Amino acid sequence: MVEVQEKIDGMAFYPGCSLDGLGKAYEKSAKAVIQDLGIQVENIKNYNCCGATEVKTVNYDLSVFLPARNLALAKNMGSSVVVAPCNGCVYSLSRANKAVTEDESTRQRINGYLGKAGVSSYDGSVEVKHLLEVIYQRAGPQAVRSHVKKPLSGLKVACYYGCLYTRPKVYTGAGLQEGKDNPEHPHYMDDLLEAAGATVVDFSAKTICCGGGHAVADREVSLGFSAAILNEATRAGADVVSTMCPLGHINIETNIPKIIEQYGDAIVRPVMYFTQLLGVAFGHSRKDVRLADNFSGADTAMHRLGF
Amino acid sequence: MPIHEKNLVDKNRLLVKEEAKLDGLDVSGQWSTFIEQRILGDYSTDVLDAVASTPAGKTIVNCWQCGTCTAGCCMHTDFGLREFNPRYFIYLAQKGAEDELKKYAPVIWRCVTCNKCVERCPKGVRVEEVVHSIEGYMRSKGWMGDTPASRWDEAFVKNTLQTGVLDELALTRSYVSREKLAEFNNRFMLRMALKLVRTGRIRTGPLRHRVKGWEKVRGVAKEILEGGGDG
Repeated sequence: MVEVQEKIDGMAFYPGCSLDGLGKAYEKSAKAVIQDLGIQVENIKNYNCCGATEVKTVNYDLSVFLPARNLALAKNMGSSVVVAPCNGCVYSLSRANKAVTEDESTRQRINGYLGKAGVSSYDGSVEVKHLLEVIYQRAGPQAVRSHVKKPLSGLKVACYYGCLYTRPKVYTGAGLQEGKDNPEHPHYMDDLLEAAGATVVDFSAKTICCGGGHAVADREVSLGFSAAILNEATRAGADVVSTMCPLGHINIETNIPKIIEQYGDAIVRPVMYFTQLLGVAFGHSRKDVRLADNFSGADTAMHRLGF
Repeated sequence: MPIHEKNLVDKNRLLVKEEAKLDGLDVSGQWSTFIEQRILGDYSTDVLDAVASTPAGKTIVNCWQCGTCTAGCCMHTDFGLREFNPRYFIYLAQKGAEDELKKYAPVIWRCVTCNKCVERCPKGVRVEEVVHSIEGYMRSKGWMGDTPASRWDEAFVKNTLQTGVLDELALTRSYVSREKLAEFNNRFMLRMALKLVRTGRIRTGPLRHRVKGWEKVRGVAKEILEGGGDG
Protein backbone atom coordinates (compact mmCIF):
# COMPACT_ATOMS: atom_id res chain seq x y z
CA MET A 1 0.00 0.00 0.00
CA VAL A 2 1.41 3.32 -1.03
CA GLU A 3 0.51 6.40 0.99
CA VAL A 4 -1.38 8.90 -1.11
CA GLN A 5 -1.33 12.51 -0.01
CA GLU A 6 -3.48 15.42 -1.11
CA LYS A 7 -2.04 17.18 -4.14
CA ILE A 8 -0.92 20.75 -3.62
CA ASP A 9 0.18 23.56 -5.91
CA GLY A 10 2.67 25.27 -3.64
CA MET A 11 5.84 24.10 -2.02
CA ALA A 12 6.07 21.37 0.57
CA PHE A 13 7.33 22.46 3.97
CA TYR A 14 9.57 20.13 5.95
CA PRO A 15 9.65 21.39 9.56
CA GLY A 16 12.07 18.78 10.83
CA CYS A 17 12.18 17.74 14.46
CA SER A 18 13.39 20.97 16.02
CA LEU A 19 10.50 23.11 14.91
CA ASP A 20 8.03 20.95 16.74
CA GLY A 21 10.04 21.20 19.96
CA LEU A 22 12.86 23.50 20.98
CA GLY A 23 12.54 25.57 17.81
CA LYS A 24 8.81 26.34 18.13
CA ALA A 25 9.54 30.06 17.93
CA TYR A 26 11.22 29.53 14.57
CA GLU A 27 8.18 27.70 13.20
CA LYS A 28 5.66 30.26 14.44
CA SER A 29 7.65 33.25 13.25
CA ALA A 30 8.53 31.63 9.91
CA LYS A 31 4.92 30.74 9.20
CA ALA A 32 3.79 34.27 10.11
CA VAL A 33 6.39 35.87 7.87
CA ILE A 34 5.77 33.70 4.81
CA GLN A 35 2.04 34.15 5.19
CA ASP A 36 2.49 37.92 5.24
CA LEU A 37 4.60 37.67 2.11
CA GLY A 38 2.01 35.49 0.37
CA ILE A 39 4.25 32.44 0.00
CA GLN A 40 2.23 29.25 -0.04
CA VAL A 41 3.62 26.18 1.70
CA GLU A 42 2.03 23.02 2.96
CA ASN A 43 3.54 20.77 5.64
CA ILE A 44 4.60 17.31 4.56
CA LYS A 45 2.23 15.11 6.51
CA ASN A 46 3.72 12.23 8.41
CA TYR A 47 7.27 13.47 7.94
CA ASN A 48 10.05 11.77 9.89
CA CYS A 49 13.45 12.85 11.18
CA CYS A 50 15.88 13.44 8.29
CA GLY A 51 18.81 11.93 10.20
CA ALA A 52 20.70 15.25 10.32
CA THR A 53 24.46 14.69 10.26
CA GLU A 54 24.38 11.95 12.89
CA VAL A 55 22.83 8.96 11.13
CA LYS A 56 25.34 8.98 8.29
CA THR A 57 28.21 8.01 10.56
CA VAL A 58 26.20 5.04 11.81
CA ASN A 59 24.81 3.71 8.55
CA TYR A 60 24.96 5.04 4.99
CA ASP A 61 21.78 3.48 3.65
CA LEU A 62 19.75 4.60 6.66
CA SER A 63 21.11 8.12 6.22
CA VAL A 64 19.71 8.19 2.69
CA PHE A 65 16.51 6.27 3.39
CA LEU A 66 15.25 8.59 6.17
CA PRO A 67 15.41 11.84 4.14
CA ALA A 68 14.37 10.05 0.93
CA ARG A 69 11.11 9.02 2.59
CA ASN A 70 10.29 12.69 3.26
CA LEU A 71 11.20 13.67 -0.29
CA ALA A 72 9.07 10.85 -1.69
CA LEU A 73 6.13 12.03 0.43
CA ALA A 74 6.63 15.57 -0.87
CA LYS A 75 6.71 14.32 -4.44
CA ASN A 76 3.54 12.39 -3.77
CA MET A 77 1.90 15.66 -2.69
CA GLY A 78 2.61 16.97 -6.18
CA SER A 79 5.31 19.29 -4.98
CA SER A 80 8.55 19.85 -6.85
CA VAL A 81 10.15 21.90 -4.07
CA VAL A 82 10.75 21.11 -0.41
CA VAL A 83 11.39 24.04 1.89
CA ALA A 84 13.38 23.30 5.03
CA PRO A 85 14.14 25.90 7.69
CA CYS A 86 17.11 24.02 9.14
CA ASN A 87 20.60 23.83 7.67
CA GLY A 88 21.02 20.23 8.88
CA CYS A 89 17.81 19.20 7.13
CA VAL A 90 18.81 21.01 3.92
CA TYR A 91 22.08 19.09 4.05
CA SER A 92 20.68 15.62 4.58
CA LEU A 93 17.74 16.06 2.17
CA SER A 94 19.94 17.38 -0.63
CA ARG A 95 22.55 14.72 0.10
CA ALA A 96 19.84 12.06 -0.35
CA ASN A 97 18.91 13.65 -3.68
CA LYS A 98 22.49 13.36 -4.84
CA ALA A 99 22.83 9.80 -3.57
CA VAL A 100 19.83 8.50 -5.52
CA THR A 101 20.63 10.42 -8.70
CA GLU A 102 24.35 9.71 -8.97
CA ASP A 103 24.33 6.01 -8.23
CA GLU A 104 22.01 3.48 -9.79
CA SER A 105 22.57 0.77 -7.19
CA THR A 106 21.93 3.18 -4.31
CA ARG A 107 18.69 4.26 -5.96
CA GLN A 108 17.58 0.67 -6.33
CA ARG A 109 18.38 -0.20 -2.73
CA ILE A 110 16.66 2.94 -1.40
CA ASN A 111 13.58 2.37 -3.53
CA GLY A 112 13.48 -1.19 -2.27
CA TYR A 113 13.37 0.11 1.31
CA LEU A 114 10.82 2.81 0.43
CA GLY A 115 8.57 0.19 -1.14
CA LYS A 116 8.73 -1.96 1.97
CA ALA A 117 7.95 1.12 4.09
CA GLY A 118 4.84 1.81 2.02
CA VAL A 119 6.11 4.88 0.19
CA SER A 120 6.28 5.37 -3.56
CA SER A 121 9.67 5.20 -5.19
CA TYR A 122 11.85 8.27 -5.45
CA ASP A 123 14.09 9.55 -8.25
CA GLY A 124 15.78 12.60 -6.71
CA SER A 125 13.65 15.11 -8.61
CA VAL A 126 12.32 17.23 -5.74
CA GLU A 127 14.38 20.35 -5.25
CA VAL A 128 15.48 21.18 -1.71
CA LYS A 129 15.59 24.83 -0.65
CA HIS A 130 16.34 26.58 2.58
CA LEU A 131 13.58 28.81 3.93
CA LEU A 132 15.86 31.82 3.59
CA GLU A 133 16.42 31.15 -0.12
CA VAL A 134 12.69 30.80 -0.65
CA ILE A 135 11.89 34.07 1.11
CA TYR A 136 14.62 35.79 -0.88
CA GLN A 137 13.66 34.31 -4.23
CA ARG A 138 9.87 34.41 -3.95
CA ALA A 139 9.59 37.72 -2.14
CA GLY A 140 12.96 39.42 -1.88
CA PRO A 141 14.08 42.66 -0.26
CA GLN A 142 11.56 44.72 -2.27
CA ALA A 143 8.54 42.81 -0.97
CA VAL A 144 9.99 42.77 2.55
CA ARG A 145 10.34 46.56 2.41
CA SER A 146 6.72 46.98 1.40
CA HIS A 147 5.52 44.82 4.32
CA VAL A 148 7.47 46.62 7.03
CA LYS A 149 5.22 48.27 9.57
CA LYS A 150 7.78 48.78 12.30
CA PRO A 151 11.23 49.24 10.79
CA LEU A 152 14.13 47.77 12.71
CA SER A 153 15.77 51.19 12.68
CA GLY A 154 18.85 51.50 14.80
CA LEU A 155 19.09 47.76 15.41
CA LYS A 156 22.56 46.45 14.61
CA VAL A 157 22.40 42.84 13.50
CA ALA A 158 25.11 40.23 12.90
CA CYS A 159 23.81 37.66 10.41
CA TYR A 160 25.02 34.17 11.24
CA TYR A 161 24.46 31.64 8.43
CA GLY A 162 26.34 28.63 9.77
CA CYS A 163 27.76 25.66 7.97
CA LEU A 164 25.34 23.66 5.95
CA TYR A 165 23.16 26.36 4.38
CA THR A 166 25.21 26.52 1.20
CA ARG A 167 27.88 23.94 1.93
CA PRO A 168 28.76 21.73 0.28
CA LYS A 169 27.90 22.88 -3.25
CA VAL A 170 27.96 19.33 -4.55
CA TYR A 171 24.71 18.77 -2.58
CA THR A 172 23.13 22.20 -2.27
CA GLY A 173 24.07 23.53 -5.69
CA ALA A 174 25.09 26.88 -4.19
CA GLY A 175 27.41 28.70 -6.52
CA LEU A 176 26.57 26.25 -9.30
CA GLN A 177 22.87 26.93 -9.95
CA GLU A 178 20.68 30.00 -10.29
CA GLY A 179 18.69 30.99 -7.25
CA LYS A 180 21.29 30.04 -4.67
CA ASP A 181 23.24 32.19 -2.27
CA ASN A 182 26.97 32.76 -2.49
CA PRO A 183 28.66 29.83 -0.72
CA GLU A 184 31.61 31.78 0.70
CA HIS A 185 29.91 35.14 1.25
CA PRO A 186 26.18 34.56 1.68
CA HIS A 187 24.13 37.77 1.76
CA TYR A 188 20.43 36.86 1.51
CA MET A 189 19.81 37.37 5.22
CA ASP A 190 21.79 40.60 5.22
CA ASP A 191 19.70 41.95 2.34
CA LEU A 192 16.36 40.95 3.87
CA LEU A 193 17.11 42.40 7.30
CA GLU A 194 18.47 45.57 5.73
CA ALA A 195 15.22 45.85 3.80
CA ALA A 196 13.45 45.54 7.15
CA GLY A 197 15.33 48.60 8.35
CA ALA A 198 18.10 46.99 10.38
CA THR A 199 21.74 47.94 10.17
CA VAL A 200 23.66 44.84 9.20
CA VAL A 201 27.16 44.83 10.61
CA ASP A 202 30.20 43.56 8.76
CA PHE A 203 30.43 40.13 10.36
CA SER A 204 33.30 37.84 9.49
CA ALA A 205 32.00 34.83 11.43
CA LYS A 206 29.02 34.44 9.05
CA THR A 207 29.81 30.94 7.94
CA ILE A 208 32.13 29.58 10.60
CA CYS A 209 31.09 26.43 12.40
CA CYS A 210 29.22 26.70 15.72
CA GLY A 211 30.29 23.19 16.74
CA GLY A 212 26.64 22.14 16.73
CA GLY A 213 27.50 18.77 15.18
CA HIS A 214 29.16 17.89 18.47
CA ALA A 215 27.09 20.25 20.64
CA VAL A 216 27.04 17.83 23.55
CA ALA A 217 29.60 15.21 22.53
CA ASP A 218 32.58 17.59 22.28
CA ARG A 219 31.95 20.44 24.70
CA GLU A 220 35.33 22.08 24.32
CA VAL A 221 34.78 22.55 20.61
CA SER A 222 31.16 23.70 20.62
CA LEU A 223 31.85 26.09 23.47
CA GLY A 224 34.91 27.56 21.78
CA PHE A 225 33.17 28.06 18.44
CA SER A 226 30.00 29.51 19.97
CA ALA A 227 32.10 31.95 21.99
CA ALA A 228 34.02 32.92 18.85
CA ILE A 229 30.78 33.73 17.01
CA LEU A 230 29.43 35.88 19.86
CA ASN A 231 32.78 37.55 20.34
CA GLU A 232 33.01 38.43 16.67
CA ALA A 233 29.44 39.78 16.67
CA THR A 234 30.27 41.96 19.64
CA ARG A 235 33.50 43.12 18.05
CA ALA A 236 31.56 44.10 14.92
CA GLY A 237 29.27 46.22 17.08
CA ALA A 238 26.11 44.10 16.81
CA ASP A 239 23.18 44.38 19.25
CA VAL A 240 21.82 40.96 18.32
CA VAL A 241 22.83 37.85 16.40
CA SER A 242 20.38 36.60 13.78
CA THR A 243 20.28 32.88 13.02
CA MET A 244 18.68 30.58 10.50
CA CYS A 245 19.34 27.08 11.80
CA PRO A 246 17.64 25.69 14.92
CA LEU A 247 20.60 23.49 15.79
CA GLY A 248 23.11 26.33 15.64
CA HIS A 249 20.71 28.65 17.43
CA ILE A 250 20.09 26.30 20.33
CA ASN A 251 23.75 25.32 20.51
CA ILE A 252 24.89 28.93 20.87
CA GLU A 253 22.10 29.78 23.31
CA THR A 254 22.63 26.84 25.62
CA ASN A 255 26.36 27.55 25.64
CA ILE A 256 25.84 31.10 26.90
CA PRO A 257 25.86 30.35 30.67
CA LYS A 258 29.21 28.58 30.29
CA ILE A 259 30.57 31.31 27.99
CA ILE A 260 29.72 33.93 30.61
CA GLU A 261 31.46 31.80 33.22
CA GLN A 262 34.61 31.44 31.10
CA TYR A 263 34.85 34.68 29.14
CA GLY A 264 32.55 37.10 30.95
CA ASP A 265 29.26 38.52 29.72
CA ALA A 266 30.74 41.40 27.72
CA ILE A 267 30.97 39.25 24.59
CA VAL A 268 27.46 37.83 24.82
CA ARG A 269 24.66 39.08 22.58
CA PRO A 270 21.05 37.87 22.41
CA VAL A 271 20.40 35.37 19.64
CA MET A 272 17.22 35.26 17.55
CA TYR A 273 15.91 33.65 14.38
CA PHE A 274 15.87 35.93 11.34
CA THR A 275 12.15 35.24 11.03
CA GLN A 276 11.59 36.59 14.54
CA LEU A 277 13.26 39.83 13.48
CA LEU A 278 11.32 40.00 10.20
CA GLY A 279 8.13 39.20 12.13
CA VAL A 280 8.70 42.09 14.51
CA ALA A 281 9.36 44.37 11.53
CA PHE A 282 6.11 43.19 9.92
CA GLY A 283 4.22 44.41 12.97
CA HIS A 284 3.87 41.17 14.93
CA SER A 285 4.29 41.46 18.67
CA ARG A 286 7.28 40.01 20.52
CA LYS A 287 4.82 37.48 21.91
CA ASP A 288 3.60 36.46 18.44
CA VAL A 289 7.11 35.60 17.35
CA ARG A 290 7.75 33.96 20.72
CA LEU A 291 10.87 35.92 21.62
CA ALA A 292 10.44 34.79 25.22
CA ASP A 293 11.20 31.23 24.04
CA ASN A 294 14.83 32.15 23.42
CA PHE A 295 17.32 31.25 26.12
CA SER A 296 19.50 34.29 25.49
CA GLY A 297 17.35 37.09 26.88
CA ALA A 298 16.15 38.06 23.40
CA ASP A 299 12.77 39.30 24.62
CA THR A 300 14.14 41.68 27.26
CA ALA A 301 16.83 42.89 24.88
CA MET A 302 14.35 43.71 22.12
CA HIS A 303 12.06 45.40 24.63
CA ARG A 304 14.96 47.48 25.90
CA LEU A 305 15.92 48.40 22.35
CA GLY A 306 12.41 49.70 21.81
CA PHE A 307 10.71 46.89 19.87
CA MET B 1 53.66 23.97 12.53
CA PRO B 2 54.85 20.39 12.79
CA ILE B 3 55.84 18.54 9.65
CA HIS B 4 53.72 15.43 10.01
CA GLU B 5 55.58 13.36 7.49
CA LYS B 6 58.80 13.36 9.49
CA ASN B 7 57.33 10.52 11.59
CA LEU B 8 57.28 8.46 8.43
CA VAL B 9 61.01 8.50 8.01
CA ASP B 10 62.51 5.32 9.25
CA LYS B 11 65.11 6.37 11.85
CA ASN B 12 67.75 3.94 10.65
CA ARG B 13 67.54 5.40 7.15
CA LEU B 14 68.66 8.82 8.33
CA LEU B 15 72.21 9.68 7.40
CA VAL B 16 73.75 12.47 9.43
CA LYS B 17 77.04 13.68 7.99
CA GLU B 18 79.68 15.51 9.98
CA GLU B 19 80.54 17.61 6.98
CA ALA B 20 78.39 18.15 3.95
CA LYS B 21 79.20 19.98 0.74
CA LEU B 22 76.71 20.59 -2.08
CA ASP B 23 78.13 22.02 -5.31
CA GLY B 24 81.15 23.21 -3.40
CA LEU B 25 79.01 24.98 -0.79
CA ASP B 26 79.47 23.94 2.83
CA VAL B 27 76.06 22.98 4.23
CA SER B 28 77.31 21.25 7.39
CA GLY B 29 75.26 21.74 10.52
CA GLN B 30 71.51 21.71 10.25
CA TRP B 31 71.47 20.80 6.54
CA SER B 32 73.62 17.73 7.03
CA THR B 33 70.82 15.17 7.42
CA PHE B 34 69.91 12.98 4.46
CA ILE B 35 67.49 10.13 3.90
CA GLU B 36 68.86 6.95 2.42
CA GLN B 37 67.06 6.06 -0.77
CA ARG B 38 64.93 2.94 -0.96
CA ILE B 39 62.00 1.60 -2.96
CA LEU B 40 58.72 1.24 -1.07
CA GLY B 41 57.10 -2.06 -1.87
CA ASP B 42 55.71 -3.12 1.46
CA TYR B 43 52.66 -0.90 1.58
CA SER B 44 49.16 -2.25 1.95
CA THR B 45 46.21 -1.05 -0.11
CA ASP B 46 43.70 -2.43 2.40
CA VAL B 47 42.65 0.90 3.91
CA LEU B 48 42.32 2.65 0.56
CA ASP B 49 40.42 -0.27 -0.99
CA ALA B 50 38.06 -0.50 1.97
CA VAL B 51 37.35 3.24 2.13
CA ALA B 52 37.00 3.58 -1.67
CA SER B 53 34.48 0.74 -1.70
CA THR B 54 32.04 2.56 0.61
CA PRO B 55 29.53 5.00 -0.90
CA ALA B 56 30.63 7.68 1.56
CA GLY B 57 34.34 7.16 0.99
CA LYS B 58 34.46 6.47 -2.74
CA THR B 59 35.81 9.94 -3.62
CA ILE B 60 39.07 9.28 -1.73
CA VAL B 61 40.64 8.15 -5.00
CA ASN B 62 40.39 11.69 -6.41
CA CYS B 63 42.61 13.22 -3.74
CA TRP B 64 45.89 14.63 -5.03
CA GLN B 65 47.08 15.93 -1.64
CA CYS B 66 46.90 19.66 -2.23
CA GLY B 67 45.84 20.41 1.35
CA THR B 68 43.05 22.87 0.56
CA CYS B 69 40.77 20.88 2.89
CA THR B 70 43.12 21.32 5.81
CA ALA B 71 43.76 24.99 5.12
CA GLY B 72 40.09 25.71 5.79
CA CYS B 73 39.39 22.95 8.31
CA CYS B 74 37.81 24.52 11.38
CA MET B 75 39.24 21.88 13.72
CA HIS B 76 42.73 22.39 12.33
CA THR B 77 42.68 26.16 11.88
CA ASP B 78 40.03 27.77 14.10
CA PHE B 79 40.18 25.33 16.97
CA GLY B 80 43.93 24.94 16.47
CA LEU B 81 44.11 21.17 16.82
CA ARG B 82 47.08 20.72 14.48
CA GLU B 83 46.96 16.93 14.75
CA PHE B 84 43.58 17.08 13.05
CA ASN B 85 44.74 17.11 9.46
CA PRO B 86 42.29 15.63 6.93
CA ARG B 87 44.80 15.80 4.08
CA TYR B 88 47.20 13.71 6.14
CA PHE B 89 44.53 11.19 7.16
CA ILE B 90 43.78 10.67 3.48
CA TYR B 91 47.49 10.47 2.68
CA LEU B 92 48.01 7.76 5.28
CA ALA B 93 45.00 5.85 4.03
CA GLN B 94 46.20 6.11 0.43
CA LYS B 95 49.70 5.10 1.42
CA GLY B 96 48.56 2.23 3.59
CA ALA B 97 50.55 3.54 6.57
CA GLU B 98 48.40 1.71 9.09
CA ASP B 99 50.64 2.13 12.13
CA GLU B 100 50.88 5.86 11.62
CA LEU B 101 47.12 6.14 11.07
CA LYS B 102 46.46 4.34 14.35
CA LYS B 103 48.16 7.18 16.20
CA TYR B 104 45.36 9.50 15.18
CA ALA B 105 42.58 7.47 16.79
CA PRO B 106 42.35 9.99 19.67
CA VAL B 107 41.57 12.91 17.32
CA ILE B 108 40.04 11.68 14.06
CA TRP B 109 36.50 11.55 15.53
CA ARG B 110 36.48 15.27 16.33
CA CYS B 111 35.36 16.47 12.86
CA VAL B 112 32.26 18.63 13.36
CA THR B 113 30.93 18.17 9.79
CA CYS B 114 31.19 21.85 8.81
CA ASN B 115 31.90 20.77 5.23
CA LYS B 116 34.27 23.57 4.29
CA CYS B 117 36.63 20.88 3.02
CA VAL B 118 34.00 19.36 0.73
CA GLU B 119 32.99 22.81 -0.47
CA ARG B 120 36.52 23.81 -1.41
CA CYS B 121 38.15 20.61 -2.63
CA PRO B 122 39.23 21.25 -6.24
CA LYS B 123 39.05 17.54 -7.03
CA GLY B 124 35.56 16.78 -5.76
CA VAL B 125 36.69 14.71 -2.80
CA ARG B 126 33.96 14.66 -0.17
CA VAL B 127 36.61 15.00 2.46
CA GLU B 128 34.35 15.08 5.51
CA GLU B 129 32.62 11.86 4.48
CA VAL B 130 35.93 10.26 3.52
CA VAL B 131 37.40 11.10 6.94
CA HIS B 132 34.35 9.61 8.65
CA SER B 133 34.73 6.58 6.43
CA ILE B 134 38.41 6.20 7.44
CA GLU B 135 37.30 6.52 11.06
CA GLY B 136 34.70 3.81 10.45
CA TYR B 137 37.38 1.54 9.00
CA MET B 138 39.66 2.15 11.97
CA ARG B 139 36.84 1.24 14.33
CA SER B 140 35.95 -1.88 12.36
CA LYS B 141 39.59 -3.00 12.67
CA GLY B 142 39.57 -2.41 16.40
CA TRP B 143 42.19 0.34 16.13
CA MET B 144 39.90 2.60 18.07
CA GLY B 145 36.94 2.10 20.30
CA ASP B 146 33.76 4.10 20.49
CA THR B 147 34.09 7.84 21.05
CA PRO B 148 31.87 10.50 22.65
CA ALA B 149 30.65 11.38 19.15
CA SER B 150 29.96 7.82 18.07
CA ARG B 151 28.06 7.16 21.30
CA TRP B 152 26.02 10.30 20.63
CA ASP B 153 25.30 9.22 17.05
CA GLU B 154 24.23 5.73 18.15
CA ALA B 155 21.95 7.27 20.79
CA PHE B 156 20.58 9.65 18.15
CA VAL B 157 19.64 6.75 15.87
CA LYS B 158 18.05 4.84 18.73
CA ASN B 159 16.04 7.87 19.84
CA THR B 160 14.89 8.72 16.30
CA LEU B 161 13.82 5.20 15.49
CA GLN B 162 11.48 5.05 18.51
CA THR B 163 8.86 7.38 17.04
CA GLY B 164 10.36 8.58 13.77
CA VAL B 165 10.94 12.04 15.23
CA LEU B 166 13.93 13.02 17.28
CA ASP B 167 13.27 14.09 20.85
CA GLU B 168 16.30 16.33 21.46
CA LEU B 169 15.58 16.75 25.13
CA ALA B 170 15.26 13.05 25.88
CA LEU B 171 18.38 12.33 23.83
CA THR B 172 20.40 14.98 25.65
CA ARG B 173 19.10 13.89 29.04
CA SER B 174 19.99 10.25 28.56
CA TYR B 175 23.37 11.07 26.98
CA VAL B 176 24.55 13.50 29.63
CA SER B 177 23.57 11.21 32.46
CA ARG B 178 25.36 8.27 30.87
CA GLU B 179 28.47 10.31 30.08
CA LYS B 180 28.29 12.04 33.46
CA LEU B 181 28.72 15.51 31.96
CA ALA B 182 28.92 17.68 35.04
CA GLU B 183 28.12 20.80 33.07
CA PHE B 184 24.63 19.57 32.28
CA ASN B 185 23.87 18.96 35.92
CA ASN B 186 20.40 18.58 37.36
CA ARG B 187 20.17 22.31 37.98
CA PHE B 188 20.89 23.16 34.35
CA MET B 189 18.51 20.52 32.99
CA LEU B 190 15.78 21.52 35.44
CA ARG B 191 16.10 25.18 34.51
CA MET B 192 15.88 24.25 30.85
CA ALA B 193 12.89 21.95 31.43
CA LEU B 194 11.04 24.64 33.40
CA LYS B 195 11.57 27.11 30.61
CA LEU B 196 10.28 24.60 28.09
CA VAL B 197 7.21 23.83 30.17
CA ARG B 198 6.55 27.53 30.63
CA THR B 199 6.74 28.14 26.89
CA GLY B 200 4.77 25.03 26.03
CA ARG B 201 7.50 23.12 24.29
CA ILE B 202 7.52 19.80 26.08
CA ARG B 203 6.49 17.26 23.51
CA THR B 204 3.42 15.74 25.06
CA GLY B 205 -0.24 15.84 24.29
CA PRO B 206 -2.20 15.51 21.10
CA LEU B 207 -0.55 18.47 19.34
CA ARG B 208 2.79 16.71 19.10
CA HIS B 209 3.82 15.57 15.66
CA ARG B 210 3.43 11.85 15.20
CA VAL B 211 4.42 9.67 12.27
CA LYS B 212 1.47 7.48 11.42
CA GLY B 213 2.41 3.89 10.62
CA TRP B 214 5.94 4.39 11.90
CA GLU B 215 6.21 0.76 13.10
CA LYS B 216 6.41 -0.37 9.49
CA VAL B 217 9.12 2.18 8.63
CA ARG B 218 11.01 1.31 11.79
CA GLY B 219 10.94 -2.33 10.72
CA VAL B 220 12.67 -1.37 7.46
CA ALA B 221 15.17 0.84 9.33
CA LYS B 222 16.03 -2.04 11.66
CA GLU B 223 16.50 -4.30 8.68
CA ILE B 224 18.90 -1.77 7.11
CA LEU B 225 20.88 -1.55 10.35
CA GLU B 226 21.09 -5.32 10.70
CA GLY B 227 22.02 -5.80 7.05
CA GLY B 228 24.99 -3.49 7.37
CA GLY B 229 23.49 -0.96 4.95
CA ASP B 230 26.58 -0.62 2.79
CA GLY B 231 28.93 0.96 5.25
